Amino acid sequence: MDVSRYVHDAERATRDALTGLFNRASFHQLLREKLVVAQRTGEALAVLCIDLDRFKSVNDTLGHPVGDGLLAKVGERLRSMSRETDFVARLGGDEFGILQTGGDQPLAAQAMATRLVDLIGRTYVVDGHMLNIGASVGIALAPGDSSNPEVLLKRADLALYKAKVDGRGTFRFFEGEMDARMQARRAMEINIRKAMALKELELVYQPQVHLETNAVVGFEALLRWNNAERGVVSPADFIPLAEEIGLIVPIGDWVLRTACHEAASWSQPVSIAVNLSPVQFRNAKLIESVVSALASSGLDPGRLELEITEGALLENTERVLSVLNALRAIGVRISMDDFGTGYSSLSYLQKFPFDKIKIDQSFVRGNTDDSNAIVRAVAGLGASLGIRTTAEGVETVEQLNRIRAQGCHEVQGYFTGRPMAATAAASLLNATSSH
Amino acid sequence: MANDVYRLVYYSRNRMTGTPDDLAASIATILNTSQANNGKVGVTGALMFNSGFFGQVLEGPQAAVESVFERIQQDDRHGEVSLLAFETAPTRSFEGWSMGFVGASVPDAARYGAIVQDSGFDPTRMSGNALFETLHHLALDDEKLAAA
Repeated sequence: MDVSRYVHDAERATRDALTGLFNRASFHQLLREKLVVAQRTGEALAVLCIDLDRFKSVNDTLGHPVGDGLLAKVGERLRSMSRETDFVARLGGDEFGILQTGGDQPLAAQAMATRLVDLIGRTYVVDGHMLNIGASVGIALAPGDSSNPEVLLKRADLALYKAKVDGRGTFRFFEGEMDARMQARRAMEINIRKAMALKELELVYQPQVHLETNAVVGFEALLRWNNAERGVVSPADFIPLAEEIGLIVPIGDWVLRTACHEAASWSQPVSIAVNLSPVQFRNAKLIESVVSALASSGLDPGRLELEITEGALLENTERVLSVLNALRAIGVRISMDDFGTGYSSLSYLQKFPFDKIKIDQSFVRGNTDDSNAIVRAVAGLGASLGIRTTAEGVETVEQLNRIRAQGCHEVQGYFTGRPMAATAAASLLNATSSH
Repeated sequence: MANDVYRLVYYSRNRMTGTPDDLAASIATILNTSQANNGKVGVTGALMFNSGFFGQVLEGPQAAVESVFERIQQDDRHGEVSLLAFETAPTRSFEGWSMGFVGASVPDAARYGAIVQDSGFDPTRMSGNALFETLHHLALDDEKLAAA
């Protein structure tokens, strides 16, 4: 009886078809077996989780055949650098894993990871294309980090996550605090999701005052989160996470609808400013969301001001311009927020007619020659381009007088009005309209 | 299309350590292996080197050039590999394998002379081609760095 076919089939079941490396299932099996042996012998093992950086863009721009060719070459490189005591696997997609046995840990794992980042990061040529990708690596050690295969893999993954956060193209060993930090993050994520359902989010409104007439000409809607356990959570503490996990889109949608409804009920047709996150700005449903918020509230589109930061404008000029123009076509106004803190590309001011530039509070509060010169220059820039300018963060009468002298049109800050509840904003407008 | 000659040019830094004689021995091995392996798959070209630098031109069918280059990339005797060109070429510039020491160091020239004397490396053939001249300049700069 010829058993070679059965042996061959059994072998194939443990391998990844594209790279010939171990597949995920056999990698887990190997890990379990080697951990049992290591516990008996007292030997240290290392698990390395590897993620390719920028692989997706190769697949997206050049197609799957080139992507597959690249993965095969990555597999070849990993194999070329591994010894008989190393087990290399493709865990799926662009994820690889190496189980390193028989080494002097953690030095062996560190040497391997260093080599790996260098080797995988070297240029590839595939089907006539020059390709550049990188590798991020997370390492967990047994028995130090755990002798349980699932826990060990999870910890290598946490270290991988850290390597990516730290800028990719590098490696990190698992550290105890990564677990705690990840748990805090997960708890925060659950809480943000709940906040939507429990209606813990609310908007407050900060007045914007015209410098010549001293009249309130608009409000900026600002997000507040009042959590039963955490108290008032600052947007700086939850917006970045909400952006990362995509929750900013439904949150932003809610903000738009709520702000439009509120403004539609005001006794004066002043403007309502709403911040757009760069993530929302890149989202394909933004236009739909704006149209829908305007339609359901009945708000005049000319009263809605969308504030975008320079961060939203950084990439892909053509697409950015088409979104800005589509928003303009609906009739809403567009403000450049926090001007001066980021990229401050003057070419954007030329390519797209912003309705307003908001000068960042750091220039308003910093009473130095430099910050004064910057405020004056931006006010002058606005005046000559026909764009209104608003100074943010005015807290004292001195700052107000200075801003006035420098030629800004409007002002927003604690001195002219703190953020207030919706009812207070409505009353403020009622009070001034009855004069 | 399938008969097109592809030309790949790269430049990398030498990571080998050891005495000058060790280095000379390693380079001799590299040259022998390249000649033997690349000839079989129809890849020809030129290798320039000195104590700090490798510069190589590979010419041949696309798939063969890609696989030879991939093997070179997996070699940790060099690093910081810059791919200067990867394109189709009307004809081969190198019909066989040639290799040459390019550098200003007199002792190195003497040491490597024996290795390269039979390879047919002719720097004058390279003058006039901007890419080869670039490689040559890079080589001289790196030799200075390695000596410093």
